[in-house]
Amino acid sequence: MGESLTTYMGDLMEEEVYSEVRRQLDEGVPPEKIFGELQKGMEIVGERYQAQEYYLSELIMAADIFKKAAEPLQEKLKGSTGETVGTMVLGTVAGDIHDIGKNIVALVFSSNGFNVIDLGVDVPVQKFVDAVKEHKPQIVGLSCLLTTSFDSLKATVEALEQAGLRDGVKVLIGGGPVDEATCKYVRADAYCVDAPAGVDIAKKMLGVA
Amino acid sequence: MATARELYEERLNRIKTAVALGKPDRVPVVPLGDSFCARHVGVKLSDFCTIPTLSNEVILKSFTSLGEVDGIQHASFYVHNLSTLWLAKLKIPGRDLPEDELWQVQEVELMKVEDYDVIIKDGFNKFIEKFFYDRLDNLGAKVQVFVESLSGAIKATEDLGIIPFSPAIATIPYEMFCGGRSMTEFLKDLFRIPDKVQAAMDVAMPEIIENTRQLCRALKPIAIWVGGWRAASEFLSPRLWKRFVLPYYKELVQAVVDEGVIPVLHFDSNWTRDLEYLRELPKGKCVFSPDGNTDIFKAKEILGDHMCIMGDVPAAMLSLGTPDEVHNYCRRLIENIGPSGFILAQGCDIPPNAKPENVKAMIESVKG
Repeated sequence: MGESLTTYMGDLMEEEVYSEVRRQLDEGVPPEKIFGELQKGMEIVGERYQAQEYYLSELIMAADIFKKAAEPLQEKLKGSTGETVGTMVLGTVAGDIHDIGKNIVALVFSSNGFNVIDLGVDVPVQKFVDAVKEHKPQIVGLSCLLTTSFDSLKATVEALEQAGLRDGVKVLIGGGPVDEATCKYVRADAYCVDAPAGVDIAKKMLGVA
Repeated sequence: MATARELYEERLNRIKTAVALGKPDRVPVVPLGDSFCARHVGVKLSDFCTIPTLSNEVILKSFTSLGEVDGIQHASFYVHNLSTLWLAKLKIPGRDLPEDELWQVQEVELMKVEDYDVIIKDGFNKFIEKFFYDRLDNLGAKVQVFVESLSGAIKATEDLGIIPFSPAIATIPYEMFCGGRSMTEFLKDLFRIPDKVQAAMDVAMPEIIENTRQLCRALKPIAIWVGGWRAASEFLSPRLWKRFVLPYYKELVQAVVDEGVIPVLHFDSNWTRDLEYLRELPKGKCVFSPDGNTDIFKAKEILGDHMCIMGDVPAAMLSLGTPDEVHNYCRRLIENIGPSGFILAQGCDIPPNAKPENVKAMIESVKG
Protein backbone atom coordinates (compact mmCIF):
# COMPACT_ATOMS: atom_id res chain seq x y z
CA MET A 1 0.00 0.00 0.00
CA GLY A 2 3.06 2.24 0.37
CA GLU A 3 2.97 2.89 -3.33
CA SER A 4 -0.47 4.47 -3.10
CA LEU A 5 0.73 6.99 -0.52
CA THR A 6 3.49 8.01 -2.90
CA THR A 7 0.96 8.31 -5.71
CA TYR A 8 -1.48 10.34 -3.59
CA MET A 9 1.35 12.66 -2.61
CA GLY A 10 2.53 13.03 -6.20
CA ASP A 11 -1.03 13.70 -7.36
CA LEU A 12 -1.64 16.24 -4.54
CA MET A 13 -4.63 14.26 -3.27
CA GLU A 14 -4.63 15.95 0.08
CA GLU A 15 -7.32 14.07 2.03
CA GLU A 16 -6.15 10.70 0.71
CA VAL A 17 -2.57 11.47 1.80
CA TYR A 18 -3.63 12.30 5.36
CA SER A 19 -5.93 9.31 5.76
CA GLU A 20 -3.34 6.93 4.29
CA VAL A 21 -0.70 8.20 6.74
CA ARG A 22 -3.15 7.67 9.62
CA ARG A 23 -4.08 4.21 8.37
CA GLN A 24 -0.47 3.12 8.05
CA LEU A 25 0.39 4.50 11.49
CA ASP A 26 -2.57 2.63 12.97
CA GLU A 27 -1.38 -0.54 11.30
CA GLY A 28 2.04 -0.10 12.87
CA VAL A 29 3.99 0.68 9.69
CA PRO A 30 7.35 2.19 10.78
CA PRO A 31 7.25 6.01 10.54
CA GLU A 32 10.55 6.01 8.62
CA LYS A 33 8.88 3.96 5.93
CA ILE A 34 5.84 6.24 5.76
CA PHE A 35 8.11 9.29 5.63
CA GLY A 36 10.08 7.65 2.84
CA GLU A 37 6.91 7.16 0.81
CA LEU A 38 6.01 10.81 1.25
CA GLN A 39 9.51 11.79 0.12
CA LYS A 40 9.12 9.64 -2.98
CA GLY A 41 5.85 11.46 -3.65
CA MET A 42 7.69 14.77 -3.38
CA GLU A 43 10.24 13.51 -5.87
CA ILE A 44 7.39 12.93 -8.30
CA VAL A 45 6.22 16.49 -7.63
CA GLY A 46 9.75 17.77 -8.35
CA GLU A 47 9.92 15.77 -11.59
CA ARG A 48 6.54 17.04 -12.75
CA TYR A 49 7.60 20.60 -11.89
CA GLN A 50 10.68 20.25 -14.03
CA ALA A 51 8.64 18.72 -16.82
CA GLN A 52 6.34 21.77 -16.56
CA GLU A 53 3.34 19.66 -15.67
CA TYR A 54 3.37 21.34 -12.26
CA TYR A 55 4.06 24.98 -11.45
CA LEU A 56 4.77 27.01 -8.35
CA SER A 57 1.09 26.69 -7.37
CA GLU A 58 1.41 22.88 -7.20
CA LEU A 59 4.83 23.10 -5.52
CA ILE A 60 3.46 25.26 -2.70
CA MET A 61 0.45 23.00 -2.30
CA ALA A 62 2.65 19.88 -2.29
CA ALA A 63 4.97 21.38 0.31
CA ASP A 64 2.00 22.17 2.53
CA ILE A 65 0.51 18.68 2.21
CA PHE A 66 3.93 17.14 2.89
CA LYS A 67 4.45 19.25 5.99
CA LYS A 68 1.01 18.47 7.41
CA ALA A 69 1.24 14.76 6.54
CA ALA A 70 4.65 14.47 8.19
CA GLU A 71 3.52 16.17 11.42
CA PRO A 72 2.19 13.01 13.15
CA LEU A 73 5.44 11.26 12.16
CA GLN A 74 7.83 13.85 13.55
CA GLU A 75 7.56 12.79 17.19
CA LYS A 76 8.17 9.17 16.29
CA LEU A 77 11.01 9.99 13.93
CA LYS A 78 12.88 11.89 16.63
CA GLY A 79 15.79 9.93 17.97
CA SER A 80 15.94 7.70 14.95
CA THR A 81 19.20 8.31 13.14
CA GLY A 82 17.52 9.45 9.98
CA GLU A 83 20.11 9.70 7.23
CA THR A 84 20.46 13.05 5.54
CA VAL A 85 21.95 13.76 2.17
CA GLY A 86 23.72 16.80 3.57
CA THR A 87 23.21 20.01 5.51
CA MET A 88 22.27 23.36 4.03
CA VAL A 89 22.41 26.76 5.68
CA LEU A 90 19.82 28.91 3.96
CA GLY A 91 18.63 32.51 4.11
CA THR A 92 17.52 35.63 2.25
CA VAL A 93 20.45 38.04 2.35
CA ALA A 94 20.71 41.30 4.32
CA GLY A 95 18.42 44.10 3.18
CA ASP A 96 15.94 41.79 1.47
CA ILE A 97 12.76 40.55 3.18
CA HIS A 98 11.40 38.28 0.45
CA ASP A 99 10.66 34.84 1.82
CA ILE A 100 8.49 32.87 -0.61
CA GLY A 101 11.30 31.53 -2.79
CA LYS A 102 13.48 30.88 0.22
CA ASN A 103 10.70 28.95 1.99
CA ILE A 104 10.10 26.82 -1.06
CA VAL A 105 13.80 26.04 -1.28
CA ALA A 106 13.71 25.00 2.41
CA LEU A 107 10.74 22.68 1.85
CA VAL A 108 11.97 21.16 -1.38
CA PHE A 109 15.46 20.54 0.01
CA SER A 110 14.04 19.07 3.25
CA SER A 111 11.73 16.76 1.38
CA ASN A 112 14.73 15.62 -0.65
CA GLY A 113 16.61 14.52 2.44
CA PHE A 114 18.63 17.65 3.26
CA ASN A 115 18.91 18.96 6.79
CA VAL A 116 18.02 22.63 6.24
CA ILE A 117 19.06 25.32 8.71
CA ASP A 118 16.79 28.21 7.76
CA LEU A 119 18.12 31.56 9.02
CA GLY A 120 15.09 33.51 7.75
CA VAL A 121 15.10 36.80 5.81
CA ASP A 122 17.25 39.94 5.97
CA VAL A 123 20.06 37.79 7.40
CA PRO A 124 23.18 39.73 8.42
CA VAL A 125 26.45 38.54 6.93
CA GLN A 126 27.85 37.57 10.31
CA LYS A 127 24.87 35.34 11.03
CA PHE A 128 25.69 33.28 7.93
CA VAL A 129 29.31 33.01 9.03
CA ASP A 130 28.31 31.93 12.54
CA ALA A 131 25.82 29.39 11.22
CA VAL A 132 28.42 27.87 8.88
CA LYS A 133 30.85 27.55 11.79
CA GLU A 134 28.20 25.97 13.98
CA HIS A 135 26.44 23.62 11.58
CA LYS A 136 29.30 22.80 9.17
CA PRO A 137 26.99 22.55 6.14
CA GLN A 138 28.08 21.31 2.72
CA ILE A 139 25.77 23.82 1.05
CA VAL A 140 25.03 27.49 1.69
CA GLY A 141 21.91 28.76 -0.07
CA LEU A 142 21.53 32.52 -0.56
CA SER A 143 18.28 33.99 -1.83
CA CYS A 144 17.35 37.49 -3.01
CA LEU A 145 14.71 39.21 -5.12
CA LEU A 146 16.23 42.68 -5.41
CA THR A 147 19.09 43.64 -7.68
CA THR A 148 20.19 45.93 -4.85
CA SER A 149 20.82 42.79 -2.81
CA PHE A 150 23.56 41.60 -5.16
CA ASP A 151 26.08 43.41 -2.99
CA SER A 152 24.73 41.61 0.08
CA LEU A 153 25.20 38.33 -1.76
CA LYS A 154 28.74 39.34 -2.59
CA ALA A 155 29.47 40.51 0.96
CA THR A 156 28.20 37.21 2.37
CA VAL A 157 30.43 35.16 0.06
CA GLU A 158 33.39 37.41 0.86
CA ALA A 159 32.80 37.06 4.60
CA LEU A 160 32.88 33.27 4.21
CA GLU A 161 36.16 33.64 2.31
CA GLN A 162 37.65 35.88 4.98
CA ALA A 163 36.57 33.51 7.75
CA GLY A 164 38.38 30.71 5.93
CA LEU A 165 35.11 28.83 5.49
CA ARG A 166 34.60 29.24 1.77
CA ASP A 167 36.49 26.14 0.60
CA GLY A 168 34.43 23.86 2.79
CA VAL A 169 31.06 24.82 1.30
CA LYS A 170 29.32 25.18 -2.02
CA VAL A 171 27.42 28.45 -2.33
CA LEU A 172 24.19 28.27 -4.32
CA ILE A 173 22.27 31.44 -5.16
CA GLY A 174 18.78 31.99 -6.49
CA GLY A 175 15.88 34.43 -6.77
CA GLY A 176 14.11 36.58 -9.37
CA PRO A 177 16.87 38.68 -10.94
CA VAL A 178 19.73 36.26 -10.26
CA ASP A 179 21.50 34.85 -13.31
CA GLU A 180 24.86 33.54 -14.47
CA ALA A 181 26.35 37.06 -14.48
CA THR A 182 25.24 37.56 -10.87
CA CYS A 183 26.82 34.24 -9.95
CA LYS A 184 30.11 35.38 -11.40
CA TYR A 185 29.84 38.80 -9.78
CA VAL A 186 29.27 37.45 -6.28
CA ARG A 187 31.63 34.45 -6.77
CA ALA A 188 29.04 31.80 -5.92
CA ASP A 189 29.44 28.20 -7.11
CA ALA A 190 26.18 27.98 -8.99
CA TYR A 191 22.94 29.78 -9.62
CA CYS A 192 19.72 27.81 -9.43
CA VAL A 193 16.81 28.64 -11.67
CA ASP A 194 14.36 27.12 -9.14
CA ALA A 195 14.25 24.90 -6.06
CA PRO A 196 14.13 21.49 -7.78
CA ALA A 197 17.01 22.53 -10.06
CA GLY A 198 18.89 23.54 -6.91
CA VAL A 199 18.39 20.08 -5.43
CA ASP A 200 19.82 18.50 -8.58
CA ILE A 201 22.83 20.81 -8.54
CA ALA A 202 23.43 20.23 -4.82
CA LYS A 203 23.16 16.46 -5.15
CA LYS A 204 25.59 16.44 -8.06
CA MET A 205 28.04 18.57 -6.09
CA LEU A 206 27.83 16.15 -3.19
CA GLY A 207 28.12 13.14 -5.44
CA VAL A 208 24.77 11.68 -4.40
CA ALA A 209 22.83 12.25 -7.59
CA MET B 1 13.83 74.85 -32.39
CA ALA B 2 10.58 73.01 -31.76
CA THR B 3 8.36 74.30 -28.97
CA ALA B 4 7.36 72.01 -26.11
CA ARG B 5 3.91 71.73 -27.67
CA GLU B 6 5.37 70.65 -31.03
CA LEU B 7 7.68 68.16 -29.33
CA TYR B 8 4.73 66.80 -27.39
CA GLU B 9 2.69 66.27 -30.55
CA GLU B 10 5.64 64.70 -32.38
CA ARG B 11 6.37 62.30 -29.54
CA LEU B 12 2.74 61.43 -28.93
CA ASN B 13 2.35 60.65 -32.61
CA ARG B 14 5.44 58.42 -32.45
CA ILE B 15 4.06 56.48 -29.50
CA LYS B 16 0.54 56.20 -30.89
CA THR B 17 1.87 54.99 -34.23
CA ALA B 18 3.79 52.25 -32.44
CA VAL B 19 0.75 51.23 -30.39
CA ALA B 20 -1.31 51.02 -33.59
CA LEU B 21 1.41 48.64 -34.93
CA GLY B 22 2.67 51.19 -37.44
CA LYS B 23 6.24 52.26 -38.15
CA PRO B 24 7.09 55.62 -36.56
CA ASP B 25 9.97 57.85 -37.79
CA ARG B 26 12.01 56.12 -35.10
CA VAL B 27 11.31 53.76 -32.21
CA PRO B 28 10.04 55.74 -29.19
CA VAL B 29 11.70 55.38 -25.81
CA VAL B 30 9.46 55.58 -22.74
CA PRO B 31 11.31 54.62 -19.56
CA LEU B 32 10.16 54.25 -15.99
CA GLY B 33 12.38 55.26 -13.13
CA ASP B 34 11.63 56.03 -9.54
CA SER B 35 14.26 54.93 -7.01
CA PHE B 36 16.86 55.20 -9.78
CA CYS B 37 15.97 58.85 -10.47
CA ALA B 38 16.17 59.68 -6.76
CA ARG B 39 19.65 58.18 -6.42
CA HIS B 40 20.70 59.76 -9.71
CA VAL B 41 19.86 63.32 -8.69
CA GLY B 42 20.89 62.79 -5.07
CA VAL B 43 17.53 62.87 -3.30
CA LYS B 44 17.01 60.53 -0.35
CA LEU B 45 14.61 57.66 -1.07
CA SER B 46 12.77 58.48 2.16
CA ASP B 47 11.81 61.93 0.78
CA PHE B 48 11.32 60.79 -2.78
CA CYS B 49 8.83 58.08 -1.94
CA THR B 50 6.66 60.12 0.44
CA ILE B 51 6.44 63.51 -1.34
CA PRO B 52 4.69 63.09 -4.72
CA THR B 53 5.49 66.61 -5.98
CA LEU B 54 9.18 66.05 -5.22
CA SER B 55 9.12 62.70 -7.00
CA ASN B 56 7.77 64.38 -10.14
CA GLU B 57 10.52 67.01 -10.10
CA VAL B 58 13.18 64.35 -9.53
CA ILE B 59 11.93 62.06 -12.29
CA LEU B 60 11.83 64.90 -14.81
CA LYS B 61 15.24 66.22 -13.78
CA SER B 62 16.84 62.82 -13.99
CA PHE B 63 15.49 61.83 -17.40
CA THR B 64 15.92 65.20 -19.09
CA SER B 65 19.57 65.18 -18.04
CA LEU B 66 20.13 61.74 -19.58
CA GLY B 67 18.88 62.41 -23.08
CA GLU B 68 15.71 62.80 -25.05
CA VAL B 69 12.88 60.60 -23.86
CA ASP B 70 9.57 60.52 -25.72
CA GLY B 71 7.61 59.84 -22.60
CA ILE B 72 7.84 58.54 -19.08
CA GLN B 73 5.66 55.75 -17.79
CA HIS B 74 4.86 57.31 -14.43
CA ALA B 75 4.90 61.04 -13.85
CA SER B 76 5.33 60.74 -10.09
CA PHE B 77 5.70 58.18 -7.34
CA TYR B 78 4.10 57.65 -3.97
CA VAL B 79 5.05 54.63 -1.94
CA HIS B 80 1.63 54.14 -0.31
CA ASN B 81 0.08 53.49 -3.73
CA LEU B 82 1.75 50.09 -3.56
CA SER B 83 -0.46 49.20 -0.61
CA THR B 84 -3.60 49.95 -2.61
CA LEU B 85 -2.55 47.35 -5.20
CA TRP B 86 -1.02 44.75 -2.88
CA LEU B 87 -3.38 45.17 0.09
CA ALA B 88 -0.21 44.89 2.12
CA LYS B 89 1.91 46.92 4.48
CA LEU B 90 5.25 48.30 3.44
CA LYS B 91 8.71 48.79 4.81
CA ILE B 92 9.42 52.43 4.10
CA PRO B 93 12.82 54.15 4.09
CA GLY B 94 13.17 56.71 6.85
CA ARG B 95 10.42 55.01 8.84
CA ASP B 96 11.18 51.29 8.95
CA LEU B 97 14.42 51.26 6.98
CA PRO B 98 17.51 53.49 6.70
CA GLU B 99 16.78 56.70 4.76
CA ASP B 100 18.27 55.59 1.49
CA GLU B 101 17.18 51.97 1.28
CA LEU B 102 14.58 50.71 -1.14
CA TRP B 103 10.97 50.32 0.04
CA GLN B 104 9.64 46.77 0.12
CA VAL B 105 6.22 45.17 0.32
CA GLN B 106 5.76 43.28 3.57
CA GLU B 107 3.93 40.17 2.54
CA VAL B 108 2.00 38.82 5.48
CA GLU B 109 -1.50 37.43 5.73
CA LEU B 110 -3.30 40.72 6.24
CA MET B 111 -6.46 39.58 4.47
CA LYS B 112 -7.99 36.58 6.19
CA VAL B 113 -9.73 33.65 4.61
CA GLU B 114 -13.04 34.89 6.11
CA ASP B 115 -12.66 38.11 4.12
CA TYR B 116 -13.73 36.31 0.96
CA ASP B 117 -17.16 35.94 2.60
CA VAL B 118 -17.19 39.60 3.58
CA ILE B 119 -16.47 40.60 -0.03
CA ILE B 120 -19.18 38.27 -1.34
CA LYS B 121 -21.68 39.68 1.17
CA ASP B 122 -20.83 43.39 1.30
CA GLY B 123 -19.16 44.03 -2.05
CA PHE B 124 -15.58 44.93 -2.82
CA ASN B 125 -15.52 48.71 -2.43
CA LYS B 126 -17.10 48.51 0.97
CA PHE B 127 -14.65 45.84 2.04
CA ILE B 128 -11.66 47.77 0.73
CA GLU B 129 -12.71 51.00 2.39
CA LYS B 130 -12.82 49.29 5.76
CA PHE B 131 -9.65 47.27 5.06
CA PHE B 132 -7.73 50.45 4.21
CA TYR B 133 -8.96 52.11 7.38
CA ASP B 134 -8.59 49.23 9.84
CA ARG B 135 -5.69 47.23 8.58
CA LEU B 136 -3.68 49.66 6.48
CA ASP B 137 -3.59 52.56 8.87
CA ASN B 138 -6.16 54.79 7.16
CA LEU B 139 -4.63 54.31 3.72
CA GLY B 140 -7.54 56.02 1.97
CA ALA B 141 -6.67 59.34 3.61
CA LYS B 142 -2.94 58.85 2.97
CA VAL B 143 -3.25 58.44 -0.79
CA GLN B 144 -5.19 61.70 -1.11
CA VAL B 145 -1.86 63.56 -1.23
CA PHE B 146 -0.96 61.63 -4.35
CA VAL B 147 -4.38 61.97 -5.96
CA GLU B 148 -4.36 65.73 -5.47
CA SER B 149 -0.85 66.13 -6.86
CA LEU B 150 -1.30 63.97 -9.94
CA SER B 151 -2.75 66.50 -12.37
CA GLY B 152 0.09 68.90 -11.53
CA ALA B 153 2.68 66.19 -12.17
CA ILE B 154 1.06 65.36 -15.50
CA LYS B 155 1.01 69.00 -16.54
CA ALA B 156 4.65 69.59 -15.52
CA THR B 157 5.63 66.63 -17.70
CA GLU B 158 3.60 67.85 -20.68
CA ASP B 159 5.06 71.34 -20.31
CA LEU B 160 8.46 69.85 -21.12
CA GLY B 161 7.06 68.21 -24.23
CA ILE B 162 7.28 64.79 -22.59
CA ILE B 163 4.38 62.34 -22.67
CA PRO B 164 3.12 61.30 -19.22
CA PHE B 165 2.30 57.95 -20.75
CA SER B 166 0.67 55.75 -18.11
CA PRO B 167 0.29 57.68 -14.85
CA ALA B 168 -2.07 55.28 -13.07
CA ILE B 169 -2.40 51.55 -12.37
CA ALA B 170 -5.28 49.07 -12.29
CA THR B 171 -5.18 45.35 -11.74
CA ILE B 172 -7.35 42.25 -11.43
CA PRO B 173 -8.77 40.75 -8.21
CA TYR B 174 -6.19 37.94 -8.32
CA GLU B 175 -3.32 40.35 -7.72
CA MET B 176 -5.03 42.17 -4.87
CA PHE B 177 -6.18 39.02 -3.13
CA CYS B 178 -2.78 37.43 -3.65
CA GLY B 179 -1.01 40.39 -2.08
CA GLY B 180 -3.47 40.61 0.78
CA ARG B 181 -3.53 36.91 1.59
CA SER B 182 0.24 36.48 0.88
CA MET B 183 1.17 34.44 -2.16
CA THR B 184 1.66 31.16 -0.32
CA GLU B 185 -1.75 31.28 1.38
CA PHE B 186 -3.50 32.54 -1.72
CA LEU B 187 -2.17 29.78 -3.97
CA LYS B 188 -3.36 27.23 -1.43
CA ASP B 189 -6.81 28.90 -1.45
CA LEU B 190 -6.95 28.22 -5.19
CA PHE B 191 -6.72 24.50 -4.41
CA ARG B 192 -8.76 24.31 -1.22
CA ILE B 193 -11.57 26.84 -1.73
CA PRO B 194 -11.54 27.64 -5.46
CA ASP B 195 -15.27 28.31 -5.73
CA LYS B 196 -15.24 30.79 -2.89
CA VAL B 197 -12.22 32.64 -4.30
CA GLN B 198 -13.91 32.85 -7.67
CA ALA B 199 -17.18 34.04 -6.13
CA ALA B 200 -15.28 36.86 -4.36
CA MET B 201 -13.45 37.72 -7.60
CA ASP B 202 -16.73 37.82 -9.49
CA VAL B 203 -18.22 40.20 -6.94
CA ALA B 204 -15.11 42.40 -6.99
CA MET B 205 -14.71 42.52 -10.76
CA PRO B 206 -17.62 44.79 -11.78
CA GLU B 207 -16.66 47.21 -9.04
CA ILE B 208 -13.01 47.24 -10.11
CA ILE B 209 -14.13 47.82 -13.70
CA GLU B 210 -16.33 50.73 -12.66
CA ASN B 211 -13.53 52.20 -10.50
CA THR B 212 -11.15 51.93 -13.44
CA ARG B 213 -13.63 53.57 -15.81
CA GLN B 214 -14.06 56.45 -13.38
CA LEU B 215 -10.29 56.78 -13.08
CA CYS B 216 -9.95 56.96 -16.87
CA ARG B 217 -12.68 59.56 -17.13
CA ALA B 218 -11.28 61.74 -14.36
CA LEU B 219 -7.65 61.57 -15.43
CA LYS B 220 -8.01 61.21 -19.23
CA PRO B 221 -4.62 59.54 -19.51
CA ILE B 222 -3.13 58.29 -22.76
CA ALA B 223 -2.56 54.90 -21.18
CA ILE B 224 -2.75 53.16 -17.83
CA TRP B 225 -0.95 50.14 -16.54
CA VAL B 226 -2.98 46.98 -16.28
CA GLY B 227 -0.58 45.28 -13.93
CA GLY B 228 0.30 41.65 -13.42
CA TRP B 229 3.06 40.24 -11.24
CA ARG B 230 1.95 37.20 -9.29
CA ALA B 231 -0.58 36.15 -11.91
CA ALA B 232 2.26 35.25 -14.29
CA SER B 233 2.05 31.97 -16.19
CA GLU B 234 5.24 30.70 -14.57
CA PHE B 235 3.54 30.53 -11.17
CA LEU B 236 0.30 28.79 -12.13
CA SER B 237 -0.77 25.66 -13.89
CA PRO B 238 -2.75 26.38 -17.06
CA ARG B 239 -5.93 25.11 -15.40
CA LEU B 240 -5.72 27.77 -12.67
CA TRP B 241 -4.46 30.52 -14.97
CA LYS B 242 -7.35 30.08 -17.39
CA ARG B 243 -9.86 30.23 -14.57
CA PHE B 244 -8.52 32.92 -12.22
CA VAL B 245 -6.39 35.15 -14.45
CA LEU B 246 -7.21 35.33 -18.17
CA PRO B 247 -10.95 36.11 -18.07
CA TYR B 248 -10.39 38.97 -15.64
CA TYR B 249 -7.65 40.59 -17.75
CA LYS B 250 -9.84 40.31 -20.81
CA GLU B 251 -12.64 42.13 -19.09
CA LEU B 252 -10.45 44.84 -17.54
CA VAL B 253 -8.52 45.47 -20.76
CA GLN B 254 -11.76 45.77 -22.75
CA ALA B 255 -13.13 48.33 -20.29
CA VAL B 256 -9.96 50.44 -20.55
CA VAL B 257 -10.04 50.26 -24.36
CA ASP B 258 -13.74 51.25 -24.31
CA GLU B 259 -12.73 54.36 -22.38
CA GLY B 260 -10.34 55.29 -25.19
CA VAL B 261 -7.29 54.59 -23.06
CA ILE B 262 -4.37 52.30 -23.94
CA PRO B 263 -3.95 49.38 -21.53
CA VAL B 264 -0.26 48.72 -20.91
CA LEU B 265 0.09 45.12 -19.79
CA HIS B 266 2.84 45.69 -17.29
CA PHE B 267 3.56 42.01 -16.80
CA ASP B 268 6.36 41.01 -14.46
CA SER B 269 7.84 37.50 -14.34
CA ASN B 270 7.45 34.92 -17.09
CA TRP B 271 4.29 34.89 -19.26
CA THR B 272 5.81 33.08 -22.26
CA ARG B 273 3.61 29.98 -21.97
CA ASP B 274 0.37 31.92 -22.39
CA LEU B 275 1.30 34.59 -24.93
CA GLU B 276 -1.05 33.00 -27.45
CA TYR B 277 -4.05 33.85 -25.26
CA LEU B 278 -3.16 37.54 -25.28
CA ARG B 279 -4.21 37.53 -28.92
CA GLU B 280 -7.76 37.46 -27.56
CA LEU B 281 -7.28 41.08 -26.45
CA PRO B 282 -8.26 43.92 -28.85
CA LYS B 283 -5.83 44.24 -31.78
CA GLY B 284 -3.65 47.34 -32.10
CA LYS B 285 -5.00 48.85 -28.88
CA CYS B 286 -2.75 47.44 -26.14
CA VAL B 287 0.91 47.39 -25.17
CA PHE B 288 2.60 44.24 -23.89
CA SER B 289 5.32 45.24 -21.45
CA PRO B 290 7.35 42.30 -20.10
CA ASP B 291 10.10 42.71 -17.51
CA GLY B 292 12.94 40.68 -19.00
CA ASN B 293 11.66 37.30 -17.78
CA THR B 294 9.17 36.67 -20.58
CA ASP B 295 10.94 35.80 -23.83
CA ILE B 296 10.40 39.08 -25.68
CA PHE B 297 11.50 37.58 -29.00
CA LYS B 298 8.91 34.85 -28.63
CA ALA B 299 6.40 37.60 -27.77
CA LYS B 300 7.25 39.31 -31.05
CA GLU B 301 6.72 36.05 -32.93
CA ILE B 302 3.34 35.36 -31.33
CA LEU B 303 1.96 38.84 -30.66
CA GLY B 304 3.91 41.00 -33.09
CA ASP B 305 1.08 41.46 -35.60
CA HIS B 306 -1.47 41.96 -32.84
CA MET B 307 -0.03 44.08 -30.05
CA CYS B 308 2.68 46.69 -29.56
CA ILE B 309 5.58 45.43 -27.43
CA MET B 310 7.46 47.56 -24.93
CA GLY B 311 10.63 46.63 -23.12
CA ASP B 312 12.71 45.07 -21.85
CA VAL B 313 16.28 46.02 -20.87
CA PRO B 314 16.75 43.80 -17.78
CA ALA B 315 17.35 45.35 -14.37
CA ALA B 316 20.50 43.30 -13.85
CA MET B 317 21.99 44.56 -17.14
CA LEU B 318 21.32 48.17 -16.14
CA SER B 319 23.07 47.69 -12.80
CA LEU B 320 25.87 45.25 -13.64
CA GLY B 321 26.34 45.72 -17.39
CA THR B 322 28.27 48.28 -19.45
CA PRO B 323 26.94 51.02 -21.79
CA ASP B 324 28.13 48.95 -24.75
CA GLU B 325 26.22 45.89 -23.59
CA VAL B 326 23.09 48.00 -23.04
CA HIS B 327 23.46 49.69 -26.44
CA ASN B 328 23.90 46.37 -28.23
CA TYR B 329 20.92 44.81 -26.49
CA CYS B 330 18.74 47.85 -27.28
CA ARG B 331 19.76 47.81 -30.94
CA ARG B 332 18.90 44.13 -31.09
CA LEU B 333 15.46 44.95 -29.70
CA ILE B 334 14.94 47.90 -32.03
CA GLU B 335 15.92 45.93 -35.10
CA ASN B 336 14.24 42.63 -34.24
CA ILE B 337 11.18 43.54 -32.19
CA GLY B 338 10.80 46.90 -33.94
CA PRO B 339 10.97 49.03 -35.91
CA SER B 340 7.13 48.77 -36.13
CA GLY B 341 4.94 48.25 -33.08
CA PHE B 342 7.74 48.62 -30.56
CA ILE B 343 8.54 51.00 -27.71
CA LEU B 344 11.93 50.81 -26.05
CA ALA B 345 12.01 50.73 -22.24
CA GLN B 346 13.61 48.92 -19.34
CA GLY B 347 11.99 45.72 -18.07
CA CYS B 348 9.72 46.55 -15.11
CA ASP B 349 11.56 49.43 -13.46
CA ILE B 350 15.07 50.86 -13.60
CA PRO B 351 16.69 49.60 -10.38
CA PRO B 352 18.14 52.10 -7.89
CA ASN B 353 21.67 50.85 -8.47
CA ALA B 354 21.50 51.16 -12.28
CA LYS B 355 24.48 53.06 -13.66
CA PRO B 356 23.33 56.42 -15.13
CA GLU B 357 25.61 55.82 -18.14
CA ASN B 358 23.68 52.60 -18.83
CA VAL B 359 20.33 54.40 -18.70
CA LYS B 360 21.75 57.08 -20.98
CA ALA B 361 22.93 54.38 -23.40
CA MET B 362 19.41 52.94 -23.45
CA ILE B 363 17.79 56.32 -24.15
CA GLU B 364 20.30 57.20 -26.87
CA SER B 365 20.13 53.85 -28.61
CA VAL B 366 16.91 54.78 -30.45
CA LYS B 367 18.93 57.25 -32.51
CA GLY B 368 21.02 54.50 -34.03
